[in-house]
Amino acid sequence: MSRRIAIERVIFGMFAAFMLSVPWSVPAVVSPFWVSIITEILIWSLFAASVNLLLGYVGLLSFGQALYFGFGMYGVSIGIDLLHLGFWPVFALGIVAAMAMALVSGIFAVRLTWHYFAIITVVFSLIFYFLAVRLKPLTGGDDGINFSMPPTFSFGGHVWSFTDSTFQYFFILVTVSLCFYLMHTVIRSPLGKAFLAIRDNDVRASLIGINVYVVRLVAFVMAGFLAGVAGALFAFFGRYASATYMFYQVSGEGVVWAIVGGAGTLLGPVIGTTLFIIIREVISTHWEHHSLIVGVVAILVVILAPNGLVGLWRNALDRVDQSDNKPVDKLQSRTGTP
Amino acid sequence: MTVPTLETRGLTKRFGGLTAVDDLSLSLPSGKLHAIIGPNGAGKTTLFNLVSGLLHPTSGDVYFRGRNITGLPAHEISRLGIKRTLQVKSVFARQTVAENLWITYEGSKRFLHPFRDADSDTVARERVERTLEQIGLTGIAQRQAGTLSYGDVALLEIGMALISDPQLLLLDEPTCGMSPAETERAVVRIREMARTIDIVIIEHDMPVVFDIADAITVMAQGAILASGNAREIAADERVREAYLGRPEDEDYVEEALDA
Repeated sequence: MSRRIAIERVIFGMFAAFMLSVPWSVPAVVSPFWVSIITEILIWSLFAASVNLLLGYVGLLSFGQALYFGFGMYGVSIGIDLLHLGFWPVFALGIVAAMAMALVSGIFAVRLTWHYFAIITVVFSLIFYFLAVRLKPLTGGDDGINFSMPPTFSFGGHVWSFTDSTFQYFFILVTVSLCFYLMHTVIRSPLGKAFLAIRDNDVRASLIGINVYVVRLVAFVMAGFLAGVAGALFAFFGRYASATYMFYQVSGEGVVWAIVGGAGTLLGPVIGTTLFIIIREVISTHWEHHSLIVGVVAILVVILAPNGLVGLWRNALDRVDQSDNKPVDKLQSRTGTP
Repeated sequence: MTVPTLETRGLTKRFGGLTAVDDLSLSLPSGKLHAIIGPNGAGKTTLFNLVSGLLHPTSGDVYFRGRNITGLPAHEISRLGIKRTLQVKSVFARQTVAENLWITYEGSKRFLHPFRDADSDTVARERVERTLEQIGLTGIAQRQAGTLSYGDVALLEIGMALISDPQLLLLDEPTCGMSPAETERAVVRIREMARTIDIVIIEHDMPVVFDIADAITVMAQGAILASGNAREIAADERVREAYLGRPEDEDYVEEALDA
C-alpha cells in the first residue's frame, strides 16, 4: 500500500509543481502559445468532468452538456455586452443560468435512463442551439458576441484583469482546481455514495429508501454547475460567446474525453481532455484529418481499456501492490468457513 | 383486536390481458413469520412488488399497520420500514460489502449530506462492523460485492435487511440457489430476525417453509387458495392438488407450466 501511495503523491506533487510554473516554464521550452493551450485544456477538463459526474458516478449518459456550457458562456457575454455588468456579477449570472437550465431540463430528463436519457439531453441542447442561432439580437447568432473584458479585481490604483495572461492563467487554474476539489468532496459524501448506489442498481437504491429521482436531479444540476463554470471561464478566456459551442458535437467530445480518460475517476477527464487537445493541436497543423486519429484512439481505448487510461494506470499500480504483498493472499478468505 | 401489520383489500394487478394478482384480500397479523407459497406464476412476487411500491395496483389497497400506502413511491414505503429483498439477488455490485451495508444504513435518511466525508460517520461505521459480524462476512468486508459467491451475496442481502432496521421484512426466495449448508445458516438468521421483526417470506423450499413459518398462505393464479398453519396446509387437498402431492419437488414446476 505504502509504495502505491508514495508513487501517487510524487506524481501529484510533480503535476502540481508543473501547473504552478506553466506561465514561466512553458514559454522557456516551447512556444508561449502553449500556455493558452494548457489554459484551454483546464477549462475543457472541467467540461469533461461534468459529463463524468453523470456518466461515471450516477450512470447517466448525457449527450447534451454543451447546452449548460453554452448557457455559462452566454450568461457572461450577455451580462457584459447587453447588461454592462462587472466581472463577478456576470460570472455568477453564467453559472446560475446554466444551473437553472439544468434544473428545467433535468426535471424531464432524469425520469428516463440510458438511451432515452441520452436522446432527451440531445434534444434539449438542439432546441436551444437553434434558438441561439435564430435570436440574433440577443445572442449574435452564428457570429456570436464579442466583448471587452471588465477587470476582475480593482483595489486602490491596482487593477487585475484577464488582459494579463499570467493572471488569467492562475485565475482559471484556481477556479478549475476548486471545482475538482468540490467534486471530490461530494463524491466522498453520503450524497456521493447514493450516486454510486443508483449507478450500480437503481431499483435496489429505491428499495433502501433513496429517492432516486431527486438524487439524480441534484446530480444533474451539479453537472450543470460544472459545465456552466467551464462555459463562463471559456467566455472570459476568449472574450467571446457563440452558439457553435452549444452544438451536440461539443457534448460528444466531452463524452469521448471522459470515457477515454476514465469515467468514474476524478482525474480521468483531465487526462482524456489533455490527450485529445494535444493531438488536435499537434496534428491539425500538419494534417487536416486529425479527427481520424481521435476516432482510432477512442476506439482502441474503449476496446483495450474499458476503464480508460486511469483504469490502465490503476491496474499497473495494483501489480505494484501485489509484488509488495506476495506472501499474503490478495483475496482473503472468510475465516471459519470450509 | 390489534391492527394487522400488512393488509390488502381487493388488490388487483393486470398486465394487459393477464391478471397477475386477482382481487386479493389478505391480513397478516404482527408477531408471526408468514410464508407465501404457490406454483410459479401464482403472483407472489407481483404481490411483493405491489406492497413495496415497485408496481402500482390496477385497483385495491395496501395497508401497513392501518395506514394506506397504496401508490406511494418505493423509497417512501422503504422509509416507513418496509424492506425487501429481490428474487434475483441484487446488491450494489461495484461497491464493497461494507459499502453496500453503509449505503443501506444511510439510504433511508431524508437528507444526504453533500459535503461531509462519509467515512467520518462513526455511528454508521460501528453499525456496519456489527452487522458484518452478525452475518459472518467481516473477513471479506473489503471485497467487491460483484465478486462474491452466490451464497455470500444472499448473506449480504440479509445483512442489508438487518442494518436497515425494518418493521416489516419481505424476503423473496432468500434461500434460492443456496447450498444446503448455506440454507441452514440463512434459516438460522431468518429465525433470529423473526423474533423482533415481522417477516413475510416467499419460498419454494418446502422443508424450509414448514420449518420456519408460523402461518402459510398458498396462492394460485393471483388469488388465495388456502391459508393456515403448516399442518393444515400439508393436509389441505386443494394444496396437494396444486403441487404438494408430487413425490419429486421438480414436478410441480412442470405442472404449473403446463397449466
